[in-house]
Amino acid sequence: MRARTRTGRRKVVVLAAVASLGAGLLAGCAEDSGGGSSNSDGGDGGSGKTTLSIGTFGVFGYKQAGLYDEYMKLNPDVSIKENVTTRTDVYWPKTLTRLQAGAGTDDIQAIEIMNVTEAVETQADKFVDLGKEVDKSQWLDWKNAQATTKDGKQIGLGTDVGPMAICYRKDLFEKAGLETDRTKLAEQWKGDWGKYVDLGKQYMEKAPRGTKFVDSASSVYNAALGGEPERYYETDGTVIWDKSDSVKKAWDVAMEVATSDMSAKLKQFDKPWDQGYSNGTFATVACPAWMIGYIQEKSGASGKGKWDVAAAPTAANWGGAFLGVPTASKNQKEAVKLAKWLTAPEQQAKVFAKQASFPSTPSAYADLKPAAATSAYFSNAPITEIFSKSAETIPSQYFGIKDQPINTALTDIGILQVEQKGKSPEEGWDAATKEIKDVLGQ
Amino acid sequence: MKASPYAFISPFFIFFGAFSLVPLLYTAWYSLHNVQLSDLDNQTWAGLDNYQNLLSSDFFWNSLWVTLVIGVISTVPQLIMAIGLAHLLNYKLRGSTVWRVVMLTPYATSVAAATLVFVLLYSWDGGMINWLLDFVGVDPINWRESDWGSKFAVSTIVIWRWTGYNALIYLAAMQAIPADLYESASLDGANRWQQFRHVTVPQLRPTILFTVVVSTIGATQLFGEPLLFGGVSGSKGGSGHDYQTLGLYMYDQGWVIGNLGKASAIAWSMFLILLLIAVINLLVSRRLRKSQ
Amino acid sequence: MTTSEVPLTQEKEQEKGAKAKGDRGFRRPRMLGAGKQLHAGPVTYVVLTVFALVSLAPLVWTAIAASRTDQRLAQTPPPLWFGGNLFNNLERAWEEASLGTAMFNTTLVATTITVGTVLFSTLAGFAFAKLRFKFSSALLLLTIGTMMIPPQLAIVPLYLWMADLGWSNQLQTVILPTLCTAFGTFFMRQYLVQALPTELIEAARVDGASSLRIVWHVVFPAARPAMAVLGLLTFVFAWNDFLWPIIALNQDNPTVQVALNALGTGYVPDQSVIMAGALLGTLPLLIAFLLFGKQIVGGIMQGAIKG
Repeated sequence: MRARTRTGRRKVVVLAAVASLGAGLLAGCAEDSGGGSSNSDGGDGGSGKTTLSIGTFGVFGYKQAGLYDEYMKLNPDVSIKENVTTRTDVYWPKTLTRLQAGAGTDDIQAIEIMNVTEAVETQADKFVDLGKEVDKSQWLDWKNAQATTKDGKQIGLGTDVGPMAICYRKDLFEKAGLETDRTKLAEQWKGDWGKYVDLGKQYMEKAPRGTKFVDSASSVYNAALGGEPERYYETDGTVIWDKSDSVKKAWDVAMEVATSDMSAKLKQFDKPWDQGYSNGTFATVACPAWMIGYIQEKSGASGKGKWDVAAAPTAANWGGAFLGVPTASKNQKEAVKLAKWLTAPEQQAKVFAKQASFPSTPSAYADLKPAAATSAYFSNAPITEIFSKSAETIPSQYFGIKDQPINTALTDIGILQVEQKGKSPEEGWDAATKEIKDVLGQ
Repeated sequence: MKASPYAFISPFFIFFGAFSLVPLLYTAWYSLHNVQLSDLDNQTWAGLDNYQNLLSSDFFWNSLWVTLVIGVISTVPQLIMAIGLAHLLNYKLRGSTVWRVVMLTPYATSVAAATLVFVLLYSWDGGMINWLLDFVGVDPINWRESDWGSKFAVSTIVIWRWTGYNALIYLAAMQAIPADLYESASLDGANRWQQFRHVTVPQLRPTILFTVVVSTIGATQLFGEPLLFGGVSGSKGGSGHDYQTLGLYMYDQGWVIGNLGKASAIAWSMFLILLLIAVINLLVSRRLRKSQ
Repeated sequence: MTTSEVPLTQEKEQEKGAKAKGDRGFRRPRMLGAGKQLHAGPVTYVVLTVFALVSLAPLVWTAIAASRTDQRLAQTPPPLWFGGNLFNNLERAWEEASLGTAMFNTTLVATTITVGTVLFSTLAGFAFAKLRFKFSSALLLLTIGTMMIPPQLAIVPLYLWMADLGWSNQLQTVILPTLCTAFGTFFMRQYLVQALPTELIEAARVDGASSLRIVWHVVFPAARPAMAVLGLLTFVFAWNDFLWPIIALNQDNPTVQVALNALGTGYVPDQSVIMAGALLGTLPLLIAFLLFGKQIVGGIMQGAIKG
């Protein structure tokens, strides 16, 4: 089937070439612009040095953590180039197109967790089986499982994971007359996001002027869903989002937030959300490990020592990625070696020290050290301990092929309509249902 | 001389045909298939299913409506202002180069940077526009999530970005108007405004037609401005799809969700819609000409 | 100004030619910008200043943001005046995005596209406007028709096509698809319909001028204002084009927009460096306009020079 349509495509391309009648002209033009592109082949050809390119979507921080330089020092015959496409909604279509064209892929391609199922189910034949190359037991089981096909081929090695905690403003909690101790707080809401919302109601009774309890209902939804055993799909690929108890539970919690006045009604990663940090307009946010650095940066000096971190009601994951090696790579062996090195526990620990991306390799947890400034900023909370406990108890979730658009429909259509447009929860649910039907082409 | 017209148009058609037309025709092929961005080789014939689905989709009709509204409230003021601006730029000015370059800066400014400024201006909480509205006693508007407010906001970005661009196009055409026409007009005692109305505008007719056609097409395909205005998951055009234009709906379906077949059907529907408008326009103008 | 002398002499010659009817010079009505003899009044300056301020504001704010720190940008109210971090941020943006190669590449790409578009569009526009040939209206409709189909999806088959030609990551992939545009052809056609009197071509033909001679001596001079504007718009478009280059190219051989995409990486993107990059991406364009503005505007203004 695949092979047939592929030749089909070639045929059309050939037809196109004939139709254009311009073979000679094209060649001429190619020569014209050759001057600028002759340096584009990347490889340092005969010099015996291998150039490895790594395609990422921008959050990895390998360059900032000095890992490329370190690797090149260890392997003088290798040089590394990073190709960054900042936005994932451009990076992933680009990568899909290039994988299928069989040309232009990097030696290593990063894959985001939301896209990994799509890669596993549609692109597995275009990636090298990395499972054979490594000791899989180094990684968290659920992390490996997400990048493994049904017949056991592993297309990517885990980079970071996003175990969740609750980041909260101690000073605001105190003014609102709430408990401020992180262990006691964690006890108060343990196991149930509903209890966290109850605390929010308490907070709002005596809330400091101009502040809300939480940044948005969607962030509570994502965190609550992340701690559930299932998401929108069964492991066999059946869509169950509207029947799943997990989704219903997370939705109900989010609705309680959206219909009360405890939410600052912000959209995460929007400009006003940044300003919310800086102005201290919300007291808590469900924070995956990698968000720590974000909070520290955006809250700025005024937030120093005021933030604290407590364990979340349930262990949940948000975000993370994998590194895969496309079979189209001309330097497969070297690329596999580099991917292995970058995802090894020691290197993951270094990235953590730089930007708090949390390792997916538990053996690194014992001696993880956050940057000193970060610890101080978050009231010396035992960040690594809190996050590693979360990471090790995260339920293994199955992400379906259209997981991301379904999730967007629920948060940015359904929940947002209730939170910002004042629609009822039923109307929000119906709107999301309609949206998801459109996504799935039903 | 016989062969030369074809020689003149052939470079255009060769490059254009190979690198624009052929890929476009390929999307027509996609629109007749079920095909996912992640699995291009696995295409199954769908006939007109994709198009039929669109006709019964509320999102499609909504985006058509949104496109029409934003198209009208952005294109009309933009072109009127552009023609006035061109008229002013056409006077003998000190530092005329600087003025012209300045008018083109919105088009040259990075869209992402510009949109960030507008997002800050229209921010619900603490945005400058809501702050001004507060002065005159109007409650703050949630621009991104309001039906008409969001359409208005997106239109202002479009107007800001394209007015100077169109003004330059008009300016070039104004330069080609023969001076005798103005001389005889002023001999007839026409003032500046009358000269503008009775000489400039009629003489600009082909260029006005051009800008109307291009702006209409641009309005139909509008997607960059609303996409960035929406911020995270901006391709939805707000939670109520209040500013999801056809172009944005297509981008969402094809690029974000990955339904390439359906997205291609949206693209070609846009073609068919514009074609329909053109045909109606032709029939009406023919009818008018006959009745005269 | 040598540049303004060229049209001046041409103009005079043409006027002379017009007087001596049937002479070898091609008769051409004296063109003069609308109201060009009119000096702008104070109201005009006030209105233009308002337009200018609105046009410039976002760019100026980009510069302000680029002169601040990321943390300051997150605060409300946002900064409204320059801070002291500009050069630091510019330097970081320049280094992180390796803008040197990118500037070179973009200049090459944008120049090639501009020359190609202006040249081919003028030729095709002239043919559509003034020459009678078979299928001319059908071909023109086809040209306009293709503008109606949004190009964003065609990126996918286009990339496959380029990959089959073995061109991924090479500059011609971004040059060729925009070397000729339907927009340019339609624009030149509309302009020449009005600006180029048919009698002029016929007179030249009676004089036995070849097609190429007519194009060179009649069409190009008449088309100059529109060619200048089309060139300007095309150059800006090519400089800022984003979606296709980012799919087609990589950071080892980037255009400016592709290179800028390397900025703001890490989990905490630094907005002030991103803004510095945006500034660096736009400024060369504006500086070039101001420097070559006289020439470009000279093209736009050629009709205005009075003999």
